[in-house]
Amino acid sequence: MSDETDQNPDRRSRCHRLRGALARTARISRWEVSRSAGTVDRKTVLVLAALALVVGLVGVSAAGEGVGLEDEIYVVAVDEDSRYHDVAVESEAFRPIPLDELVVESGDEANADVVVTRNGELARYGPHGAAAHDAFVEAIDAYNEERFRQEANETAAYPVHVELDYQERNFDGETEQGGRDGSSNGDSDGGTGTGPAENGTGDDSTADGTDGEGSGDGSGDAADGDTDGTDRNDGTSDDGDGRLQVPNIGGAGGAVDGTVGPPGSISPPFPFQSLLLAFLFVVPMNFVIQAYGSTIMDERVKRRGELLLVSPASRREIVAGKTLPYLLGLVAVAVGITVAVRGGLLSVAAAIPIALLFLAATFAGAMLARSYKELTFVTVTISVFLTTYTFIPAVFTDVNPIALISPLTLIVTDLQGESVSLGEYVFSTAPFYCSAAVCFLLGIGVYREEDMFAQKALPAKVLDAIASRLHGYRSVAVLTALFIPFVFAGQLLAVALLFAVPEQLAVPLVIVLAAAIEEVAKSVHVYAGFVRSRFEASLRVAAVLGVCSGAGFFVGEKLTHVVQFVGLPELTVGAAAFGPELSGDPLLAAAVFLAPLVLHVVTAVISAIGASRSRIDYALTVVLATLVHAIYNLGVIALVA
Amino acid sequence: MSRDRSSDESTPIERGPNPPEPAGDGDSRFSLPFGPRWAVARRELGSLRSEKTIVLALAIQLVIAAFSSFLVVGLVSLYDPSSVGDSDNRVAITGADEADIERLSQLASEQDGLKPTAAESRADAFAAFDEGQVAAVLEVTRDADGRLVVDATVPDGGLETTLLIVQLQELLETLEHEERLANADALEAPPLDVPDEVGASPYLEFTYTILVPLLLFLPVFISGSIVVDSLIEERSRGTLELLRVSPLSLVDVADAKLLTIAALAPVQAVAWLLLLAFNETVIAAPAALIVLVAALALAVTAAGAGVALVAPDRRQAQLAYSGGIVGALVLSTLLPEHPANTVAKFAIGSATATTWLSLATYCLVAVGGYLVVRRGIGRLAADSL
Repeated sequence: MSDETDQNPDRRSRCHRLRGALARTARISRWEVSRSAGTVDRKTVLVLAALALVVGLVGVSAAGEGVGLEDEIYVVAVDEDSRYHDVAVESEAFRPIPLDELVVESGDEANADVVVTRNGELARYGPHGAAAHDAFVEAIDAYNEERFRQEANETAAYPVHVELDYQERNFDGETEQGGRDGSSNGDSDGGTGTGPAENGTGDDSTADGTDGEGSGDGSGDAADGDTDGTDRNDGTSDDGDGRLQVPNIGGAGGAVDGTVGPPGSISPPFPFQSLLLAFLFVVPMNFVIQAYGSTIMDERVKRRGELLLVSPASRREIVAGKTLPYLLGLVAVAVGITVAVRGGLLSVAAAIPIALLFLAATFAGAMLARSYKELTFVTVTISVFLTTYTFIPAVFTDVNPIALISPLTLIVTDLQGESVSLGEYVFSTAPFYCSAAVCFLLGIGVYREEDMFAQKALPAKVLDAIASRLHGYRSVAVLTALFIPFVFAGQLLAVALLFAVPEQLAVPLVIVLAAAIEEVAKSVHVYAGFVRSRFEASLRVAAVLGVCSGAGFFVGEKLTHVVQFVGLPELTVGAAAFGPELSGDPLLAAAVFLAPLVLHVVTAVISAIGASRSRIDYALTVVLATLVHAIYNLGVIALVA
Repeated sequence: MSRDRSSDESTPIERGPNPPEPAGDGDSRFSLPFGPRWAVARRELGSLRSEKTIVLALAIQLVIAAFSSFLVVGLVSLYDPSSVGDSDNRVAITGADEADIERLSQLASEQDGLKPTAAESRADAFAAFDEGQVAAVLEVTRDADGRLVVDATVPDGGLETTLLIVQLQELLETLEHEERLANADALEAPPLDVPDEVGASPYLEFTYTILVPLLLFLPVFISGSIVVDSLIEERSRGTLELLRVSPLSLVDVADAKLLTIAALAPVQAVAWLLLLAFNETVIAAPAALIVLVAALALAVTAAGAGVALVAPDRRQAQLAYSGGIVGALVLSTLLPEHPANTVAKFAIGSATATTWLSLATYCLVAVGGYLVVRRGIGRLAADSL
């Protein structure tokens, strides 16, 4: 902040000032807490607690039985004497009607979706017949399984026993999957080395095979060893009831599940349970930001915040003080959840940046919103966007290293009992920390009288927020570098969303999107500077600003080489967004190193010149700069490939 | 709400629709019984329009629907072997007994996507696996009880492994089924014949049981949230007091806001149903669904209005509202039929007597709740706000 000029560099006075700032921040925090607590009386708290308890109890029981969303959505006509009648009765999705009540109308319409004819065949009617048919087939399967489970002769009921061994293979340049497998997946590594040799006897019994696996896990970590141990017991003692009932979600380990048992119980390595538990971390954030957004907005309604603004506390202290209770609350909740689901320190460490970004985005949103209604939609948008952004990549935790773009992946990994390297933690959380910092900075920029209490259009306020950070040419470069986390997050999001799309379509789309995101990030503050008259609208100034912005971006972009920690550029789509790895002889390397600098400067100057003229010129030049950028990226990829 | 603030100082009698209409028109307007309320309603809609929140609301609903669809489509295709094209996974089969190997090879060659190769020996099979010539090694043995024990070795991690395991599971389940039929004498009852699946869309159930209820409930929750915000905002800015000096009673103001915003929900529901129809999802009873949404919207907005007039500030109000919604959703699992299930049954066309009874109950609850809240507002003391 510029308003705190450093006139007296004396250490003692600095210490004194710091203490003063901390004291003011703490006081505002205390006010925030006491004001919130003061508005709720004890009776309300008791009623709410009782309600929460009832809801929790019902929720737990409902989670056990299923919500029953698909109860009786299909109708099946089946004779009461038919063997399939019991299937229809036991299956929740079907409502049986007697065969006599079946009315077949003209065509293939009937009052039932599926019909079990008297000779035991399935017939289907109506638009949902096919789906109902398949559902009924599944219901028969489930019915059979249920019967087998109650069968006395277990060997006859479960004549096949399967064991799944995961083994790592290294051939034709297929690198290890980052540090994750190498460092933490001790079990799979051990398996590779010892598996074939140990089992070399050729007709080892069940117990032998699982033994080898169990010991491998034990050396890896305790949690894995645990689940495997129980699995082994189930498998060998044939008591497998508990596991069979929930073949997909049983056990605490998630991915290690479903490696031993009858064919129906084995399942691919999908961390279903860990994913659900990780989602728990995000849920409370969605509620807390509502309250946080309200308290920030409250300051702006009826000029209430003016009193704090005229107090000796600086705006940074005010914002810090108002934010602290909510942040601490979220951290406490994260710690609580971690203890409850038996996660590690990593879970908390990964939850904090998510919480910070939730709060920061809400703060910026609350500073820009014009009314409570608008604020609600801003917070819901933030909730939806950030939840999506964190959750979708985490689904692919065990599948693809790009999942690490979300800190939630770290939590999933942690809950699976694996560890991550520091580089992976930085890669995953740094964009979140930086984005949160920028959101807070921009929000604090408009935390002042003329913006807080005025009703301006949203884009105008955004420009205000950005322009308030502009002081001279250097700040342009700094701001460009500060936008890099958003660029990074935006590009990662583009990659993540498009990686499911066929590659021929995804790569060009990603190239253009990535270029557009970068160009906007390099020019939006230049535009804000011209519109808010921070800079003289001349060609020379525009050129200088463009050079500053381009150079700032170049420096910042080099930081994205953190990406290489996890070998992300090995994905084809990843390379399109971040450029290929550096290699080759020094001269070429230097050229490759400096070429982006030239590119960024050129494109930034193009859009800066447009920005100095008018809004339409600005839009046109950004498009032009994007095209130049995309063509350059295409050229580089073609050159390297 | 800039208009409110800018006209704070002006005399209250001038408050009315914005922009103000010609005076002659104004008199006739106020002579109608619903005239003044209509003015409040119009202002409410106007503020939604000017802030473009309704656009944002629609976008959010679309994103949520797209998000859930993305998850389901992604997960289904993750487990769908046909999604990786027609390249066969080569599987080396080895074991102690030639007959067992032969049987498993036979089954594997009959299954799509798997291609069995005979391995000379166990060591050969694992060598081929390590070199990447085969995707998996299956080792068949028999234990003391005569059960088949299949030791499957697959590569660690990756999308291919997921698909491979799904394929292997299918193969082994076929094997299990054959073995069970062979064991039929030892079983208490032979298993039921399982007909072949016809390959219906795996998304149909998701569409009717998740997507449609989601799209119909979201507008309801959003409407409730808007009512909470709208009333709290009037209270915080002190404009509710000004409105009370107008010819309208507090009940009228709350009425107008509540009914206008509640009406938005069924309108959005109609839009979503049209969108679904456009995507060739047949909705069996659209009228019943619209009525259901209208009833729920009335109930939820009435509750929201009650919360907004009782809660001390927006934080408590919004937390109480959203907590209440979550609680209500959880508690509704105790009902004979979950509301989402009611929607699914109406949409797919297998509504039962319970379904219709639920609809009637929701309508009654909604009207009852609305009347109760209306009475409560009428009794609220002016100074308490």
